Amino acid sequence: MTDMLIRRLRYWMGSARRSEALREEMELHLAEKEAELEADGMTAERARAEARRRFGNFGRKHEESREIWMTRFWPELAQDVRYGIRTMIANKAFSALAVLSLALGIGANTTIYSLMESILLRSLPVADPEPLVVLNWHSRPPQNASKEWVHVMHGVQGMAWPGDKGAMVSGMFPYAAFETLRAENPVFSTLFGYFNGLHHNLAVRGQATIASTEYVTGEYFRGLTVSPAAGRLIDSDDDRPGAAPVAVISFAASQNRFGGPPSAIGQSILVDNIPFTVIGVAPPEFFGVDPAAALDLYLPLHTNLLVDGAEAARMYPDGNFYWIEMMGRLRPGVSMAQAQAALAPRFHQWVATTATTGGERAKLPALMLNPGAAGLGSLRRQYSKPLYVLLTMVGLILAIACANIANLLLARAAARRREMAIRLSLGAGRFRVVRQLLTESVMLASLGGAFGVLFAIWGVRALTLLFSRAQENFTLHAELNWYVLGLTAALSVVCGLLFGLAPAIQATRPDVMPALKNGRGGGPRRRAQHVLVVAQIAGSFLILVAAGLFVRTLNNLHSVQLGYARENILLFSVNARQAGHRDPEIASFYADLRKRFESIPGVSSATFSQSSIIHAGLAGRTIMGTMKIGAVTMHGARVMGAGPRFLTTMQIPILAGREIDDRDQPGSRAVAVISERLARTYFENENPVGRRITLPDEKRDLEIAGVSGNVRYGGLKNEEESAMTVFVAVSQFSPDRVTYALRTAGDPLRFVQSVHEIAREADSRIPVTNVVTQAAEIDRTISREITFAKLCTGFAVLALLMACVGLYGTMSYNVARQAGEIGIRMALGAQRGAVVWMVLRRVLLLAAVGLAISVPAALVASRLVKSFLFETRPNDPGTLALAGVVLVSAAILAGYAPARRASRIDPLSALRQE
Amino acid sequence: MGRKAQKNDSLPGSLDMLILRTLSRRDLHGYGIVQFIQQSSDNELLVEEGSLYPALQRLELNRWIEGVWGVTSSNRRARIYKITAAGRKQLAVETRKYAKLTLAIARVMGA
Repeated sequence: MTDMLIRRLRYWMGSARRSEALREEMELHLAEKEAELEADGMTAERARAEARRRFGNFGRKHEESREIWMTRFWPELAQDVRYGIRTMIANKAFSALAVLSLALGIGANTTIYSLMESILLRSLPVADPEPLVVLNWHSRPPQNASKEWVHVMHGVQGMAWPGDKGAMVSGMFPYAAFETLRAENPVFSTLFGYFNGLHHNLAVRGQATIASTEYVTGEYFRGLTVSPAAGRLIDSDDDRPGAAPVAVISFAASQNRFGGPPSAIGQSILVDNIPFTVIGVAPPEFFGVDPAAALDLYLPLHTNLLVDGAEAARMYPDGNFYWIEMMGRLRPGVSMAQAQAALAPRFHQWVATTATTGGERAKLPALMLNPGAAGLGSLRRQYSKPLYVLLTMVGLILAIACANIANLLLARAAARRREMAIRLSLGAGRFRVVRQLLTESVMLASLGGAFGVLFAIWGVRALTLLFSRAQENFTLHAELNWYVLGLTAALSVVCGLLFGLAPAIQATRPDVMPALKNGRGGGPRRRAQHVLVVAQIAGSFLILVAAGLFVRTLNNLHSVQLGYARENILLFSVNARQAGHRDPEIASFYADLRKRFESIPGVSSATFSQSSIIHAGLAGRTIMGTMKIGAVTMHGARVMGAGPRFLTTMQIPILAGREIDDRDQPGSRAVAVISERLARTYFENENPVGRRITLPDEKRDLEIAGVSGNVRYGGLKNEEESAMTVFVAVSQFSPDRVTYALRTAGDPLRFVQSVHEIAREADSRIPVTNVVTQAAEIDRTISREITFAKLCTGFAVLALLMACVGLYGTMSYNVARQAGEIGIRMALGAQRGAVVWMVLRRVLLLAAVGLAISVPAALVASRLVKSFLFETRPNDPGTLALAGVVLVSAAILAGYAPARRASRIDPLSALRQE
Repeated sequence: MGRKAQKNDSLPGSLDMLILRTLSRRDLHGYGIVQFIQQSSDNELLVEEGSLYPALQRLELNRWIEGVWGVTSSNRRARIYKITAAGRKQLAVETRKYAKLTLAIARVMGA
């Protein structure tokens, strides 16, 4: 056997040569025959014709001879494919349905997977990312939450996030820690630092825009192994106090602002009015070390002394202020564990010197290295869980799609049973027939996969948009690369085999005779169909429940009482300080600008504040510290800096006194407007107007000028006593960036053009940024919930549809199969209603079994998504009940058509067929 | 239903046997085999000549015969086939089968 295989293989290797030899041999035969016939007295012409006639079909014989050697695999595959195409064309409706549902399933999987690939798996686009490590620290949480937070970290600029067992983890360090670790580092070939400079005003040839900026140390580009697209990158000589200010810009920025990398080199730019020279352009694929970021500008670390001024100068020497982030490149042969062992004691030694009290010494931060090949983990932390949830869901959908097609194939196998039986009885091998059926299903799946890629192209775009609405300054570098497409192709083939195998084996069961006799199937197929339908119902129920929970969460979020207007308000931000405006002129600049905006026809009122209300406390300068009324300290009150007419514009009711207005200027008496809840809590029934609030940290007294309605301060999910708000006059608190709000008649976005014109007139150096409606700004904060609700609703509809198609197919098949039985029943006097009920009863039974399986599963699974829910319990009985009702109604709907058909069976014709 | 190997002779499988038998007498090339069969049957057995070649390939695949390049009497390059030891055994098997079959048929016809 193997001998023959090897001989075949050897033949196959030399097949072209062998084929030629065979032809030569056969031609010789013809020539000799011809010669013989000619010798017998035929003319040359007749001899040739006769020789050919006796030989038979030359080409075909040649082909047959070759086939003896060739395994028949390829030619037969071609035959199967041809046959498959014919079958698909013959069953257009079936094929379209199967391809469509697979395309949706595979497309959804490809989309989610490409997001996962870009967020969770992909390495930084640098030459050698593997040896990169990120430096973090972690420290124990405060033992007692009510105690003051005692920590060597007195201040931080950046993020900390929860680690294991409630520990606090962060990637920010004091500058001195960076210097200490950088000096004589035995484990890193390079250690480099950076920090996010957020947005700065970037003016190129008088055109100002906002640029997202990263401050980087001189080792940054060398450590990352990045080569410039043009010019040179920042090196150690550029990163000294007093060095000539230079900048590297992103590839995209070079194209948008200079018309290409080469023309950017040597150009002069203004960053917050400070002149810099562009020395280089980063390569197009480079986005920094944070996959979520889209940086425009890289500046040497020490230039923040020029741009951010005195504030920056204070950060360098302060060993208790945490602000710089670090990454290192391991020396060849050094593992991350070795590096950790070498550096942790050095960091500990250093950080111990910064502790001043026993409390601080008790929980010093400890150094912790993490893999850095994929860049910073902020995106991964944020999205890994949602993505796994989504992946599970789309996986479930694909499984339902496969079950569906398997089901349809089973039903169709009934129709093709005679065909199969004929093939088998004519001597086709069972394997051969199974293979042909599998070829058909893999073809369906491949077609589904191909269309799925089209869906995915659209899906990746749509999802990137959905996700990136979550925050400004967020970019997703998702794409359909070869890695993802390869997975899609593999998925398609596996699906094809998965849903094709069972029906194929069923269809070729060796009991040929009964099928040849009457063409009707037996029990096992029906059982298989029922199992599939039950699985589909169970799967769709899970997705329905998830959709229900997320929609409910979204509803809860949307019905949160804001206390201020959501519609007809246009928001946008302006930063005059970055364009060179200073106190006290900046306050009058903002006030003047407000009046100009208010004069736009169709704008009923205009105001400005530190930030939008929904982002209060997150953006702009926060005014914190204790607040006192006399000797009483206020707890849980938040400060919001607002401009004139804020309450009017936001439609927050003024309950007493007045709101902040144009009288409240930098020099005048400092005033506050407090919310009703605050007034009730600290003044009970007295009139608070005219009383005083003290801000010891800000060294000032505020006179209460009015009382407002309660407002939800900050985000929608902010559970703290968010209704206790102190509005202060933003112009009295040395504002930097402010957010304007215009109350408009009709669509707020119609006024964007006028806003830009007015701002340009006022000062062309100041870009207007983050233009958005209030409603969109609020929705942005719950974009994850909106995304989930939308996606899951879509998924649920899809799953339900597929389950219904499966149910419908199964029931139709059953009714057709039982036509005789039903006919007899009706002949014996069964009412139509009874027949309908007979079919529906089976539908309900299947649905009930499906539900019985999936309700416990849903109870368990929904707990996993608990953290995504808002004011909704994971086992919310209302949602479960609703999902159940929807499912059963859909099942009845799907079963009704076959039931009705059953009740219309004409007993006579049914019996005649039997 | 597909293309099965065609067997145009009246007795199924007999072409293989005839080729083996021919080659057991002398080594021959394709045309020579056809000629030999026709002549020795007094032109009673007309082989569809093209069918010879699939049969030769089948026999070679089974290692019953072996083809080597040689030269014909008219001095042209040709593949000359010779029977192998396995081929002789196979010929014996087929001859026995054939004898049984013809005997059985003869009995029926004679009865």
